[in-house]
Amino acid sequence: MSQWRSSGFVSLRIENWDGEFTVFQPESGKTHFLNEMGLRILAMLDQSPATLDIICRDLSEHFSLQSNAHFSEQIARTLHRFEALGLIAKTNIHM
Amino acid sequence: MRLAGQGLRVKIGPFNVCIQTRVLPLVNQLYRLYAFYTLVESGEIAEFHVRIVPKHSIRRPFARLIQFQVDGRSPFPPIPVEQALATLEWGVNLAIAMRVNHLLLFHSAAVERNGHVLLLPAWPGSGKTTLCTALIHRGYRLFSDEFGLMDPQSGNFFPLPRLMPLKNQSIGVIRDYLPDVVLGPEIPNTLKGTVAHVRPPKESIECEDKPAKPRWIVFPKWIPDTKLRLEFLPRSEAFLLLASNAFNYEVLGETAFDAVTRLVQGCECRKLVYSDFDSALTALNELTNG
Amino acid sequence: MVDLGTGHHQLLLGALRDPPSLIARDAREWELLLRLARRIKLLGFLAVELEKHGLLDQIPVRAANQLRSSLIQAKKLQQSACWELNRIIWALSDHEIPIIVLKGMAYLLQGLPNAAGRAFVDLDLLVPKENLNQIESSLLKKGWRHHALSAYDERYYREWSHEIPAFVHNERGTEVDIHHTLVSPLGKLKINPLLFWETAIKVNDEGIYVLSPEDMTLHCAINLFQNNELSDDLRHLLDFHGMLQFFSNKQPLFWGKLVERANQLGVGRLLFYGLYFSRLLFGSPIPDNLEKQLNRQPGWLTRCIMHSCVPLALLPLHPDNPSKWAEFARLFLYLRSHWLRMPLHLLLPHLIYKFYLSFVSRQKKASTLRDK
Repeated sequence: MSQWRSSGFVSLRIENWDGEFTVFQPESGKTHFLNEMGLRILAMLDQSPATLDIICRDLSEHFSLQSNAHFSEQIARTLHRFEALGLIAKTNIHM
Repeated sequence: MRLAGQGLRVKIGPFNVCIQTRVLPLVNQLYRLYAFYTLVESGEIAEFHVRIVPKHSIRRPFARLIQFQVDGRSPFPPIPVEQALATLEWGVNLAIAMRVNHLLLFHSAAVERNGHVLLLPAWPGSGKTTLCTALIHRGYRLFSDEFGLMDPQSGNFFPLPRLMPLKNQSIGVIRDYLPDVVLGPEIPNTLKGTVAHVRPPKESIECEDKPAKPRWIVFPKWIPDTKLRLEFLPRSEAFLLLASNAFNYEVLGETAFDAVTRLVQGCECRKLVYSDFDSALTALNELTNG
Repeated sequence: MVDLGTGHHQLLLGALRDPPSLIARDAREWELLLRLARRIKLLGFLAVELEKHGLLDQIPVRAANQLRSSLIQAKKLQQSACWELNRIIWALSDHEIPIIVLKGMAYLLQGLPNAAGRAFVDLDLLVPKENLNQIESSLLKKGWRHHALSAYDERYYREWSHEIPAFVHNERGTEVDIHHTLVSPLGKLKINPLLFWETAIKVNDEGIYVLSPEDMTLHCAINLFQNNELSDDLRHLLDFHGMLQFFSNKQPLFWGKLVERANQLGVGRLLFYGLYFSRLLFGSPIPDNLEKQLNRQPGWLTRCIMHSCVPLALLPLHPDNPSKWAEFARLFLYLRSHWLRMPLHLLLPHLIYKFYLSFVSRQKKASTLRDK
C-alpha cells in the first residue's frame, strides 16, 4: 500500500491569481501553473501523508464533487504527474 | 568606409554592435536605414561583432552567396546576396536572444506613450510588428518590435529601436496606411516569405537611452472584418503568455518569476481584436490617456 | 616555437592567471578578452573570480553585464544538471544502483574552486556495466527518451562503443550520458572500470559517488588528452590546474598518490601532458621533477610536436585574424584524438561519415534557429 507525501512544499513560492496559482519550485527552477484542486493536494500532503482514497475523499468533500472511479483515476494521474515533477513523493507503508 | 575596414560601430539602445562587410548592396542599404544611429564613442566596448562575408558554394557555383558571422561563427547557412540585410537583422536578434541575461527579454513589441510603456506581446497571429509600425507613426515612441528589455530589479524597460521587418501582406498594408514610412527593399524568398524593413523614426532613436516603467499589456490579434474588441485579460493568463514566450524566463529562474509577477500585478492587461488601424489606435489612445 | 607571445593569448592567459589584474585593462583590451573568453566558455569563470574579489563593479559596465549574463546562464545549467540528477535518482530508486557522478556535476558536488562559474550541459554518470539494461528500461519508462539518432550513430554507440545513446527527458533539456567505462572500449588504452569503484567516495546515502581526488584529476587528463580533440578546450586544462591546487592543499600526500595511481592505471603519458601544459600555460605550482617518476613518458620528438601544437589548439583563435598555423595544429590534433580512440579500419569510415553529417546537420540546425 502506498502513501503520498509532499516534497519541499515549504520552499515553493506561490502566487494567487484569483484561484489560479503560479508556483515556483526553486530546486528545479520550474514554474508550475495549478488550479485550486492542484494546490489543495500539495497543501494537504504537506500537513500529513495520505493515501489516494483519503485524498479523493477530502477533495470531493471540499469541492462538493461526486467521488467515483473516474474521479479517483484522474486524481491518481495527477499524483503521478506531481511525483514526476518532484512536487510530491511516494512512500510505501507495510501493514 | 568603416563598414569595409575595422567595422562600423553603432549604438543601438543599450548595446553596441560592430558590423563589418564589403558586400556592396548591403553597404548602401545600411547607409540609408541606419542613418539615424549614433556611432559608438571611443573607449566604449562593443558587445556584438557581426560580419556579412561573400561565400562560394561548390553545389551552387554561379550563385552569389553571402554568410552571416558572429564572432567568427556562422549560425546560418550561406544564402543569396539579396537577403543580406534580412540575415544581418535576424543574426543580431539571435545573438541578443542567446547571450543577454542581465535583462529579462520578453518576446514582445514595446512602445511608449505619456511616459509609460505599452507592451504588445507576441502570440500567434498577433501582427505585433505591423501594429507597432502604425503606432510609432501616430505619436507613440518605439522601444522595440521584437524585444521587451526589462531590468528585473528596477522594473524599467529599455528601448532597443532596431529595424522592423514587415512580412508579406503587411508590407502593402503599411505602404497604404503610412505612405511616408521609409522602407528597405522588398526581399523575397526568405524563410519567412517576403520581408521589408521599416526604418525607426529619428525621434525614437534620439531617446534610446530613456527607459520607462510599464503600465499596459495588450495582447493584439488581427482578424479581418471583425468589430474591434478591447477586453480584460485575466492576469494569470497574461503571466502564462508572457513567461512562456520570453527568451530567457527559465534562465533567470526566481528573479524572472518575481519580475513577471510584479510586472503583471502592476499593469492593466487586455486582449485586443482588431481589423483596422484607425479603430485600434482610438482604443489604445483611450487606454493610454493620462 | 609556440607563439605564446601572441598578444591575444597573453591577454587571455594573464586574465585567467590573475583575474584581479583585469581592472587595469582598457576598453579595447576588454572587448577582445570578452570575445576570446566567450569562445572558450570561460566568461562564467572570470565573473566568479572578479565577484570573489569584489571587482565586478570596478570594471566597465558593458564588460560586467556580459560576465553577469554568462554567469546567470552557467548557474542555470548547473541547476538543471542538479535537478536532472535528482530525477534520475528518483527514477532508479527501486533498484539500488550505485552511480559515480563525473565531470562538471562531480566538481560541483566536491566544491572544486572552478565549479561555481562553470557551464556544462551534460550530466555524465558511470554505472556498473551489468546495470545498463536495467537503467535504460527504467528511464525509458519514466519519461526519458534517447536523443534522436541515425541508425549509423545507434550502431556506433551500441556495437562499437558498447555504450547506450544519451538520454534526455521529454520535458527538460539536460543530456544524460550513461557510461560504464571512462575510455573508449575500442581505443588502445584499456582501463578496468572496477578500479575506479574501489576508491570512489560516497556523497550521500542514495548511492551517489564521485571519483577519488587522484582519479578525478586523472580522468580530467584522460578526457583532455585522450578523448577530446583539444580545440578550444582550455577550460578543461584550467579545471585540471584547479584540481591540482585544491587537492594538494587538502592533502600533502596527494602528489605521490597521483603519480602512483597514474602508473597503476597506465596513464602516465596523459598525466605527463596535463602537468606539462598546466605548468606551461598557468604556471601551476607542481613539485619539480614530478613527471620523472611517471612511466610511459613521451619521447622528445613527440614532446616537441605536442609542445608546438597543443597550446595553439587549447587557446582560442584570434576572432578577426585566425592564424593558419593554428588551424593546422588543430586539424592534426583532431586526427590524433580519433587515431587514439579507434582502430584504423573503423576510424576511416567514421570520420568520412561524420564529415558529411556535420555538413548536413549544421544547415538543419541553422534553419530551425531562424524559424524561431
